[in-house]
Amino acid sequence: MDRLSREEVLHVAYLARISLTEEEIEKFRVQLKVLMDDIDKIKEVKDFDDEMMYTPIEDNTRLREDVVGEMLSASDATINAPKKNGSFIEVPVMINE
Amino acid sequence: MSKYLDLDIRKIHELLVEKKITPLDLVDEALSRIEENKDLNAFITINDKVREEAKGLGEVDKDNLFFGIPIAVKDNIVTKDLKTTCASHILDNFIPIYDATVVEKIRENKMLIIGKTNMDEFAMGSTSETSYFGAPLNPHDKKRVSGGSSGGSASAVSGGLIPLALGSDTGGSIRQPASYTGIVGMKPTYGRVSRYGLVAFASSLDQIGPMTRTVYENASLLNVLVGEDDRDLTSVKKEKEDFTRLIGEDIKGMKIALPKYFVSDIVDEEISKRIKEVISYLEKNSAVVDIVDMKYLDTAVNLYQIIAMAEASSNLARFDGVRYGFRASDVNSVDEMYGKTRGEGFGDEVKRRIMVGSYILSGENAKTYYDKALMVRDDITKEFNRIFKEYDLIIGPTTTRVAPLLGNSKDDPHKAFMDDVLVIPVNMAGLPGLNIPVGKNSEGMPIGLHIIGKAFDEATIYKLASFLEEVF
Repeated sequence: MDRLSREEVLHVAYLARISLTEEEIEKFRVQLKVLMDDIDKIKEVKDFDDEMMYTPIEDNTRLREDVVGEMLSASDATINAPKKNGSFIEVPVMINE
Repeated sequence: MSKYLDLDIRKIHELLVEKKITPLDLVDEALSRIEENKDLNAFITINDKVREEAKGLGEVDKDNLFFGIPIAVKDNIVTKDLKTTCASHILDNFIPIYDATVVEKIRENKMLIIGKTNMDEFAMGSTSETSYFGAPLNPHDKKRVSGGSSGGSASAVSGGLIPLALGSDTGGSIRQPASYTGIVGMKPTYGRVSRYGLVAFASSLDQIGPMTRTVYENASLLNVLVGEDDRDLTSVKKEKEDFTRLIGEDIKGMKIALPKYFVSDIVDEEISKRIKEVISYLEKNSAVVDIVDMKYLDTAVNLYQIIAMAEASSNLARFDGVRYGFRASDVNSVDEMYGKTRGEGFGDEVKRRIMVGSYILSGENAKTYYDKALMVRDDITKEFNRIFKEYDLIIGPTTTRVAPLLGNSKDDPHKAFMDDVLVIPVNMAGLPGLNIPVGKNSEGMPIGLHIIGKAFDEATIYKLASFLEEVF
């Protein structure tokens, strides 16, 4: 069956910051190939003009007034944090000495 | 048991005004129906404060049709202090600290949020089987799916558990489940309804809309949901209008286009036959229905895959285990925390789409895939505009087949997209589209008609839909 290499799967998993198990790597070698083949079909569309449509909104330059609005309190902002210390969110050590 | 919830909401409103019933009666009826139909798996979370909220509503507001009416909300629309999971393990303990704009509007109108409905994980899927909480079932045949991604909302309304629900539609996720379950579902014009508080999937396509039993209820609920919002700068300012205003009007002289692609051999025979019957009926009533050629419709799924997966990969980068949601244990570095949290927190469909989306946006691929898709997207939109210079509406079947059996699309990454082949073009162009049930097939499964309108012309869609609702 047509499939991606193990390295190709690990590359896109790294881009997406998703850790995969060995079993998943094997499964996605086939499944991602199906989707990669699907998106490749865009190359077959020949008759098109080069204007791009980023959004259906015609006037997409509307901006808010630059004024200070309502803000979250520290306790509200951290209420769902999986690990916290007072009003701080705790994460693993980021800097190696 | 009382049967008030089976009545038209205008009748329910009358009973409330006459003090023959109270909002609490309606809530209790909805809660007991949900309990009796637990096997439908339509809800992820029930609002355990809803009885208190019903008691606290006070005097009935005679001028507000929705006063005291229970409503269900899809679980990707945030509700303050009420768990919002997006049907994902990564958010299965997430309690929002604010309300989405549409939820604020629902509360201002004194509707009662009964609970949060099941769906495909992060709205990615076409059968709701990617839900972390298991698939909702189709009330017409419990061996079948209720569609996706708003499958829980569709199941709840179709099963009579609740008269009204909110869904969201990125590539057909309101209209397709509405078709599979025989209810009315509208995806409004992009920009009509604020997306603030809708957990983003593909930002240039997502739109919230009403899912209801009748056309009138659908249009009335849309009246409540719309409006410009400074917290979503893609929401559009429009004059206030009443979307029910053309309901019941004659369709004589109405010009309707039927693209050839919508009646090609990709559509099941029984569905095609029913659509032809609808067309004959329209013609008998002096509407003009022309079969037209439309380019690019067959590219829409391909465009959708590229645009939706690319935008999803960017939008879902926020689920990293830092500020909210699930975080994997036993991690020694930040990178490991990101990878393991996302690896353990997301299901397969979401992982596939994020990975392919990241690939699409990496380096030169962005030009090859994403930019090219946006170019063809512009062309498909121009095609719609060309047709709408001559026609009031475009119609076709909503789906190529009736609701499939559970497990039919499992582990097939391609099938999830093909179920939406007829509804996706509408999201590309940002147009409004509605499903209206037009009968059943020989197995008793609902068939849906898809009505597409000009941008911001939802009222004309409702006009045709109400005309057909009387007959089919």
